Amino acid sequence: MAAYVCTRSFINKFKDSIRFIPRRYRVKTKWAATRPKFPATELALHNFDTSYGIQLRDLWPSIRVAMLCEQKYGALINSFSSVPNAIKDLEAQGCKDFISIDCSRNEVHQPSQDYTTSHRDSTELEPASLQPSISPDIKCLVFPQGDISRFKPARPDSSGILGYYLLDAASVLPVLALDVQPGHTVLDLCAAPGGKTLALLQTHSVNYLWVNDLSGSRTMRLHRTLQSYLPKEFLDESKIHITSTDGRHLGITEEKSFDRVLVDVPCTTDRHSAMVEENNIFKRSRTKERQKLPLLQTQLLLAGIQATRRGGYVVYSTCSLSQLQNECVVQQAISLAQQELGITVQEFFDVYLSNVLLERFTSADSLESVAKLQCQRAKRMLGTGLGSYSGSACHFLNGLGFLMVAAFILHAAKTKKESMKEKKF
Amino acid sequence: MVRWMWRWSVCRVAVSRGHMPFCSTQQEPHNANPSHTGQVTHRPGNQLTLCSLLEMGFSETQAKEMHECATNSRGKHVPSVLTALLLLGLNPSSILKIMQKCPEVYSLKGADLQQRVDHLRKMGLVEGSLQRMISHYPKVMLLPIKRVNMVSRLLREKCLFTIHQVTEILRDSPEVLEEDLAELEYKFQYAYFRMGVRQPEMVKAKLFRMSLSELRCRHCFLERRGLYQTPDKKGQTLIVNPPLKDVLCVSEEAYLAQVAMATAEEFHVFRKLMAKEQEEEGREDEYSSDEDEELGEDKDDEDDDDGVHRRKRHWKTGYKKDRK
Repeated sequence: MAAYVCTRSFINKFKDSIRFIPRRYRVKTKWAATRPKFPATELALHNFDTSYGIQLRDLWPSIRVAMLCEQKYGALINSFSSVPNAIKDLEAQGCKDFISIDCSRNEVHQPSQDYTTSHRDSTELEPASLQPSISPDIKCLVFPQGDISRFKPARPDSSGILGYYLLDAASVLPVLALDVQPGHTVLDLCAAPGGKTLALLQTHSVNYLWVNDLSGSRTMRLHRTLQSYLPKEFLDESKIHITSTDGRHLGITEEKSFDRVLVDVPCTTDRHSAMVEENNIFKRSRTKERQKLPLLQTQLLLAGIQATRRGGYVVYSTCSLSQLQNECVVQQAISLAQQELGITVQEFFDVYLSNVLLERFTSADSLESVAKLQCQRAKRMLGTGLGSYSGSACHFLNGLGFLMVAAFILHAAKTKKESMKEKKF
Repeated sequence: MVRWMWRWSVCRVAVSRGHMPFCSTQQEPHNANPSHTGQVTHRPGNQLTLCSLLEMGFSETQAKEMHECATNSRGKHVPSVLTALLLLGLNPSSILKIMQKCPEVYSLKGADLQQRVDHLRKMGLVEGSLQRMISHYPKVMLLPIKRVNMVSRLLREKCLFTIHQVTEILRDSPEVLEEDLAELEYKFQYAYFRMGVRQPEMVKAKLFRMSLSELRCRHCFLERRGLYQTPDKKGQTLIVNPPLKDVLCVSEEAYLAQVAMATAEEFHVFRKLMAKEQEEEGREDEYSSDEDEELGEDKDDEDDDDGVHRRKRHWKTGYKKDRK
């Protein structure tokens, strides 16, 4: 196992200010004379080897090495910027927009053998006719597969708005899956530092965006990001509402308010935990916190479900491969939503890095066909080997780890009262 | 024996002066260069003649080629050099190949060459291995004895190889003699501390044949795939590390198929990434840290900020810690 210990100095953003530093953050590696005996990164890798080795089997070594190498960035084009030729310059370097590459393909192939038979009779809609619903305004350019070039920092236009935002290309997938339609109200429950928020805004379809994150400082950072990327008129309170509260409360206060909800929960951030020692969630002092993560994630997802109106979508995403933080949380949240809140949530699809697509459809509804197409599209995007430097498995590295996307469609959500009435008979 | 041969060649020269009985049966080119042969006859013993070459056992074409190269090299003691090589027991075609591989040998002094060969013998290279080594790696003859001694001393004193092991290393990887001493030591330490390999295994795996970058590449690829672990203080690992010879002594295809179990494409991209990492470590760039390492954070962020590329490069420095 490779453990990576930080030897580089970190430039503290707030180096000028003197603040009380909670004990667990005090030790800075650059000042530490000795290294920890059991680096948290090693503990993290050991944890991954144990669980993912079983879960992913043959795929795990390739994913492991990709996780321990430099990640692949994508340049999310900022359509609010008037930097001339931003896209052209990037394309001149060899980059391509991975989203439109996929949309231009007409084939609707189904390579996965895990497809359950019930879907075969679902109607297949033409990709072309559905293109408008797949947020074509979001453009994310990446270097070709196997090309390890780096992006240069984004340039500002005349008003200081930056031309693109660098993030892990996989971070865009949940936003694509969310499929924001014009006029929608959207809630981003755990938004910081704001990459996905920016991607949401690129759709130009959001009527009202509520952006929330628990951490105050990270919310501030998100605010600054938005200021660098959006013209002042777009940062109006009536259009973008930024809060810094516990997302779990928003389920109750904002019940059934949003068309779309993105729940990008805090997780073990696999890639980050394997590489960065500082404040690593796998360090022993944070064990309890880490063990309580699935519970927190379930609660956040539940709040997200509550905040969604009937017929709306919720997308749950993490950057961890762990089943405990993905499938288990989703299952738990769905069952809790049913039992405790009387909300029926239909699990639409979850796109998993091993390219197994699990879809559960109840009927050949056109809505579901759209979702199915989205699955396939997402799957094809995965298949382009984006974010991954190895061409073998079709894995996709989000931010630090892998993308786990589960989309839910709330169908005929019943309130508690209604369901209770029915029980009488 | 050498002097006898010298006289013998002198005689031959005298006899063939102007006539070149053997050479007259050659094609035109030889007769077209009378000045050449004229020169040869004036300085007997120091210059090479085609006849002497033929006497040594070279075929006509071989002799021609050798003669031409020798003259081009302006070596002054070519006959003695060839004599020394012949004494080694090398046959003419091997000698020709050596000279083709390493024309600088022409410029040597026979006595020096003999000394160096004797020195190598003293180092333990027995007949058979000595010849093979010289045939395979003629450059070794260009190296002064002092150099050979320095490398040998490094291997024995700093790397703690036994004399036998040093001999084996020299035999299998004579290129070691030309390597920079600091880099040689570094390579050893990488294998010793970073990979946890000990001397016998290093020798068996012909460690010194491989360049450091390739060694590092193959090792780190395995390590990051979870297939190789640096042993702890007690020398233990959680997994069984593949033997070093299985990693190093095989072709890249075999290594990928049997040990790493990965595709060539993955490995090539990994190699590029490693090269970049090494380059940056060498420059010791100071990239600013991830913005998410702010105090008071619970969640680490994955996204980038302000369009600037951030790198999170953290190296296991267990190796460097031990480096002397």
